[in-house]
Amino acid sequence: MILPKLAYKKAKDLEDAIHLFRKYDENSFYLAGGTDLVPQLKLRLHKPMALIDLKGVADLKGIDVQESWLSIGANTTLFELKDDPVVKEHFPALFQSLDATSCETLQMRGTIGGNILQNTRCLFYNKSLEWRKAKGQCFKTDGEICNAVQNSEMCFANYCSDNVPPLLTLSAEVILNGFGGERKINLSEIFSRDSKKPFRIMPGEILTRILIPLKKSKGAFEKIRVRGSIDYPLVNAAVSVENGKGKLSIGGVGPVPFVYNLDNLDTYAVEELADRVYSDSRPVANTTLSASYRKRMSKVLTKRIVANVLQEVQL
Amino acid sequence: MRTVKVIFTVNKEKITVQAKPYETLLETLRERLSLTGAKESCGLGACGACTVILGGIPVRSCLVLTAEVEGMEVKTIEGLEKEGKLHPLQKAFMEKGAVQCGFCTPGMIMTAKGLLDRNKKPEKHEIIRAISSNVCRCTGYKKIVEAIEEATE
Repeated sequence: MILPKLAYKKAKDLEDAIHLFRKYDENSFYLAGGTDLVPQLKLRLHKPMALIDLKGVADLKGIDVQESWLSIGANTTLFELKDDPVVKEHFPALFQSLDATSCETLQMRGTIGGNILQNTRCLFYNKSLEWRKAKGQCFKTDGEICNAVQNSEMCFANYCSDNVPPLLTLSAEVILNGFGGERKINLSEIFSRDSKKPFRIMPGEILTRILIPLKKSKGAFEKIRVRGSIDYPLVNAAVSVENGKGKLSIGGVGPVPFVYNLDNLDTYAVEELADRVYSDSRPVANTTLSASYRKRMSKVLTKRIVANVLQEVQL
Repeated sequence: MRTVKVIFTVNKEKITVQAKPYETLLETLRERLSLTGAKESCGLGACGACTVILGGIPVRSCLVLTAEVEGMEVKTIEGLEKEGKLHPLQKAFMEKGAVQCGFCTPGMIMTAKGLLDRNKKPEKHEIIRAISSNVCRCTGYKKIVEAIEEATE
């Protein structure tokens, strides 16, 4: 499969990257591992003038402990992050999610920044240009219909990151750098809650670092997928508990993972929580298995993962 | 569109190419350098048939731009033999009959090479894990795993 015509530029540093973005009339894409972006370009889902390679930017590298935070450079590959002793020891939910992402070869290329900023996916969107033209352009490709849900007025594409649900349970923050300078926000604030354009970051802004409060947590990650390797989640779930307080996050359905607080989980409360997840999760028929199965599995995963974590900690 | 000059190493040989900026490493290897061991199958990073080793790690060469590999070292299946002798992995794949149609085999061997480079004595579950990065549509994984096990001995 052939890439569309575009220029390639390697940025020396952050300033250079932002300058290059401006030079190409703000119609370029930042390139990190390329495991999510390159297939989209091959399918002609975007038409940028240039790719700006960020792999040489020093500010995006490294994993450091800074006071009470673990600061992770956005260009850290999932495999490097999985190999980090602090991640393994302190953030088991994140560790397990890294291990469950795609396959080892792609973990060695794909970056954590890219995983966070991956595009939403749909059975009717991630297709070739010819296929999409024949079917009719949908909301996500600037058309006026949804091919997954008839007569719908919105896009239902799924946000399929495996690493973001655990990061949300760990109250992660992110640093963004762009024309307006640097800003630090909660990870949950980057989401627009609109599948068509899933992120609320400014044009040209670069996700530089991910910050996780450095507290030892207990936790787990679960993922439902068709194959055991190289597959996106049909629904996934993460739980992290730290100092008696816990959070559950459910992802893979809709534009953003849901987050729930966990406290005093007796059998009755777990059942009530699972019912809440079931009613909140509204999958549609836009991935490999049916919407009703995924909806039921959101409830099953909730009960399973909470029971799993409660074996280790008391809330 | 202007081409870009890229200098890199392929199987220990220094190569200079004038590549299109949107040319993938797989295209350069196959079409400019006639190294047709790496195969294009899905072209979208899902199958692993195009796996080569870049800077010591296995990558999908269909997802890497040639312009990105400036100054780096690439190893392909053609570079595994030494002085006419096959690499232990290649030998083991032949001896164990770990080849059916053969289309996925170069990718499988390069993924296995990547594993053995970072872990000389992998356990069976680690081999299975690594090789699950690659798709074999003949579904002959059992012999592939056996061949890699033999190559580690």
